Amino acid sequence: MSVLLETNNLSKHFDGLVANQDINFSLEAGSIRCVIGPNGSGKTTFISMISGHLRPTGGRIIYKDRDVTDLSVIRRARIGIARKFQTPTVFENLTAYQNIELAVLGTGCPRAKRHRRIFEILDLIRLSEVWDRPAQFLSHGQRQWLEVGLLIAIEAELLLLDEPTAGMTAEETASTARLVQMLAREFKLSVIIIEHDINFIRDLRAPVTVLHLGRVLLDGSFEEVAANDRVRDVYLGHEAG
Amino acid sequence: MTADADKHLLPVGRVSRRGLGQSETGLAFLAFIILALLPIFVDGYAIYILPQYMLFGMLAMSLGLLWGFVGILSFGQAGFFALGAYTMGLAMQSDLGINPAYIGILLSLVVGGVLATIAGYFLFSAGVRATYFVLVTLALSIMVEQIAVSQSDITGGWNGMFIDRMSLTFGALGEISLYEDAPAYYAVLPVVVVTYVLLRWLTSARFGKVLAGIRENEDRMTALGFNISLYKTCAFALSGVIASLAGALYSTHANFVAPSLGGVLFSTEVVVWVAIGGRSSLLGALLGGILVATLSNYLNAVTPEYWQLVLGLIFITVIVFFTGGLAGAVAQLPRLWQSRS
Repeated sequence: MSVLLETNNLSKHFDGLVANQDINFSLEAGSIRCVIGPNGSGKTTFISMISGHLRPTGGRIIYKDRDVTDLSVIRRARIGIARKFQTPTVFENLTAYQNIELAVLGTGCPRAKRHRRIFEILDLIRLSEVWDRPAQFLSHGQRQWLEVGLLIAIEAELLLLDEPTAGMTAEETASTARLVQMLAREFKLSVIIIEHDINFIRDLRAPVTVLHLGRVLLDGSFEEVAANDRVRDVYLGHEAG
Repeated sequence: MTADADKHLLPVGRVSRRGLGQSETGLAFLAFIILALLPIFVDGYAIYILPQYMLFGMLAMSLGLLWGFVGILSFGQAGFFALGAYTMGLAMQSDLGINPAYIGILLSLVVGGVLATIAGYFLFSAGVRATYFVLVTLALSIMVEQIAVSQSDITGGWNGMFIDRMSLTFGALGEISLYEDAPAYYAVLPVVVVTYVLLRWLTSARFGKVLAGIRENEDRMTALGFNISLYKTCAFALSGVIASLAGALYSTHANFVAPSLGGVLFSTEVVVWVAIGGRSSLLGALLGGILVATLSNYLNAVTPEYWQLVLGLIFITVIVFFTGGLAGAVAQLPRLWQSRS
């Protein structure tokens, strides 16, 4: 598989506070990577730099062999980098259908095919039964899926999911894991997931990057990370305690 | 995909708003039929003054587009209205061998559009939002007023500028004079109807859906790859064009333009029309402009000292009890009826 995304010595400082320092990261096309770490470890800062919401203090971001470090959020979204925020950021007063329709409108999908495309996505995120319900009346989990649906609808190739299972039930969390795996397997989408839910991360069976104090502490499989004493000290042990 | 879903496809702009919804088309048709037939049953002052109020309604629609569909409150619409009015006034003084009114209309469209595009581009690119946008647009209106006052050699200053009624010329085919009130009425009405239809079409098309998305969640629209400052600039430019055209036609109909058309008081009145009529509906904004201007005129005649106080009380009452304005109240009627029966 080819490398889709690379970061080279990516750093972000806020008035002397080091949020990220020299992060070297790479992601292959069609793969999933979980990024974990305790609160304040720099996870959200990291994907904010990839999505373009934050400008790095140093380092470069390479996407599909192209330096995208200086591109705006809009330009990155148009070349396939799309982000789901920590709290569901959807169009609350619009129906599930209209939410997806708005995203599809940006892709140049022909009018005749638009309706079918919208329902394909609604089926994928299991919201076709509630297509006409305003987003504000959907459950928290459904709104999370709806936001993922927006990213699929703009035909993104790299999904940045910031805590996609926050507030979900165990069943919804398991469904989300299956959805993410399917997106990578069948649609060849690449996914970076920031998550605190260890069960979800284990279910994904994806490589894990651990951040601590803004730096990469460890890259490895879930089992390797879970068995690592330093990780247990800074994260798992801390959380278990 | 459910078959049920196919039957109930509704554009973003319609479902999401608190306006008149699908009943708006029927109500608009009824309103325009009444306006078209009115000169048959009524004459005199009403037919003289109604075109001016319809143009106020057109001005209100220019704000309704911004406020109701994009979520941008602008106090600058009066400025564009005055700009169009002065542009028409200056054009009517020209002698270029073509009908000066046509030049005035064309120039008012260009001037309003260009100024709104430039202002919108810089404001929206700089991320100016909410209260700051209100203040900047209010300043724009005041600037137009002050320029009109200071350039008295051209504009007549506080004394204003007298402008002739326009005529419609068709080359060798002849001419229709709009000096009489009835022809002027029937010249203004189609412009207002076409503006309404154009805006309804635009707001239910892709452009309107994107505007609705921007109103609902700007950050999400940006993250989806939409250039929201471009869309906002286009909407602002369009509203500037409509307000400027309304001002141009108003000036030639009223035979007069004064700096106060760009002033704070008139700017505020436009916002009051739209708030009372209902900002989430173009018809609400249009009728708000016509009805509130009519009411203001009536109150001014009945109680010249307190008419603004009475109007203020009506404004507060409508806003407190019907946040969606009169359009919102009308939209709630069927639901109230159903809940009682």
